[in-house]
Amino acid sequence: MTAVSAYKLNETIVDVKNVTHAYGDHTILRDLSFTVRDITRPDSVTGQVVALLGPSGMGKTTLFRVLAGLMPPTQGEIKIGADGVPVRAGMVGVVFQNYQLFEHRTVLGNLTIAAGQSCKSSSEACDKSIDMLKRFGLEDFAKRYPSQLSGGQRQRVAIAQQFLCSRHFLLMDEPFSGLDPLAVDRVCSLVTEVANLHELNTIIVVTHNIEAGLRVADTAILLGRDRNPDGTPVPGARVQATYDLIERGLMWHPNVDQMPEFVELVREVKGKFKEL
Amino acid sequence: MAKPLDVIVPNRPVSPTVIKILIVGQALVALAVWWTAPISVLPRPDEVVSALSTLWMRGLGRELITSLMLNVQAIAWTVLISLALSYLTVLPFFRPIAAAISKGRFLGLIGLTLIFTITLGGGRTLKLALLVFGMTVFFVTSMAAVILNLPKERFDHARSLGMSEWRVVWEVVILGTADEAFEVLRQNAAIGWMMLTMVEGISRAEGGIGAMLLNQNKHFHIAEVFAIQIVILTVGILQDYAIGALRNLFCPYATLTLERK
Repeated sequence: MTAVSAYKLNETIVDVKNVTHAYGDHTILRDLSFTVRDITRPDSVTGQVVALLGPSGMGKTTLFRVLAGLMPPTQGEIKIGADGVPVRAGMVGVVFQNYQLFEHRTVLGNLTIAAGQSCKSSSEACDKSIDMLKRFGLEDFAKRYPSQLSGGQRQRVAIAQQFLCSRHFLLMDEPFSGLDPLAVDRVCSLVTEVANLHELNTIIVVTHNIEAGLRVADTAILLGRDRNPDGTPVPGARVQATYDLIERGLMWHPNVDQMPEFVELVREVKGKFKEL
Repeated sequence: MAKPLDVIVPNRPVSPTVIKILIVGQALVALAVWWTAPISVLPRPDEVVSALSTLWMRGLGRELITSLMLNVQAIAWTVLISLALSYLTVLPFFRPIAAAISKGRFLGLIGLTLIFTITLGGGRTLKLALLVFGMTVFFVTSMAAVILNLPKERFDHARSLGMSEWRVVWEVVILGTADEAFEVLRQNAAIGWMMLTMVEGISRAEGGIGAMLLNQNKHFHIAEVFAIQIVILTVGILQDYAIGALRNLFCPYATLTLERK
């Protein structure tokens, strides 16, 4: 086992407590609970990345919408921040699978309108947007429309837009879906880079890509349905397992995916997937 | 390397130059067929040109301007009423009203003339009202469908930025569909020209190119009928280009792409 770097777990910044969600009689999520705590390391800025893993049809999209505050859960509550404020739409940044942007606005326009939600004046919003363009290496694309951007550029703009609303929480829906291996590497680097921009930055990645999810996350949560003794699934996904990748010594290594422990963990999670 | 037979291979992309050659070539073939057509009832192109000249002397230009003004005015009212109704479908209260108006496209204008005449009187107001009604029922149908089919993610994206529901409506429903509104307008402006003849026939008080067409039709002046149809077609196509140019001006993103054309 690789030595664990020095780190400290501080206050809870995301608290998902007993969340159940049903559409009519159809239960999608059942009594789902997990927490995310602020991780600090000496001499470095460390954000948090949580991977919510689960096979297709396990209610990941429903959980995504509930976590984003776009839909209240049937039961339970979600609190974010050290103050434990109940989540509502606009508090958590959301990057959709297809990197939604306002197609009728330029890249700078997309950022300015997001910054405008929290800035007192339009000049302040514009300055903040230009600063964000620089941080994300998008200066050259300021006047372009989203339809003129590549998938990777769109993703960066979508993330920058969400962070402009002065939030540290970001939800990403299937960011690795349909990407080739090199593009997956690039997105993994981007997620890590964005998480480590601020100590409180917390990214929750909802994905069915086990390997990519485990590469970026400090904590992986496996969603799935329980089974009755006769093998039939119980309606409603729950947390089936939580993997602490820091404890396992699989965090903050540049080539973690080549470590035998990582390969073994991927195999273990894949095995669990088959049982769900 | 493009091959000549590419133009008859399914789904084969061809260059804009090839498309231009095809248009010119097919137009020339159509003209040749027209010129040499054995159907005696069809006027020859030279007869149509001659008829056009005669009609111009008899005030075709003036009638055209009358119709054009009526059409533009009707389009303006249609856009105002239809967009307002379509955008209001974000409020559940207005959905049945928009749906009922949309069903009005099954009603014939002739059947509505009496009610409109009693309500509005005759003349220009009647023509304008009939045209606006005729275009609005189609415009509302198309535009309400555009709004109804907006993906949920677009609304969620705006909400995730902390926008109020009215701001979401402004960004996603109004600004976000502006380019499509121009496309719907293009289709309905064309429908307007189709209805114009009928409407100007119902109330001939002010004249117009439609009334002129009906007069020529009544007297079996085929060359003149062809000439007027060609004028209507030309003006309609120009209007279509003008609306397209407006769309490109106000919604430049609508035609932009990462791919090279």
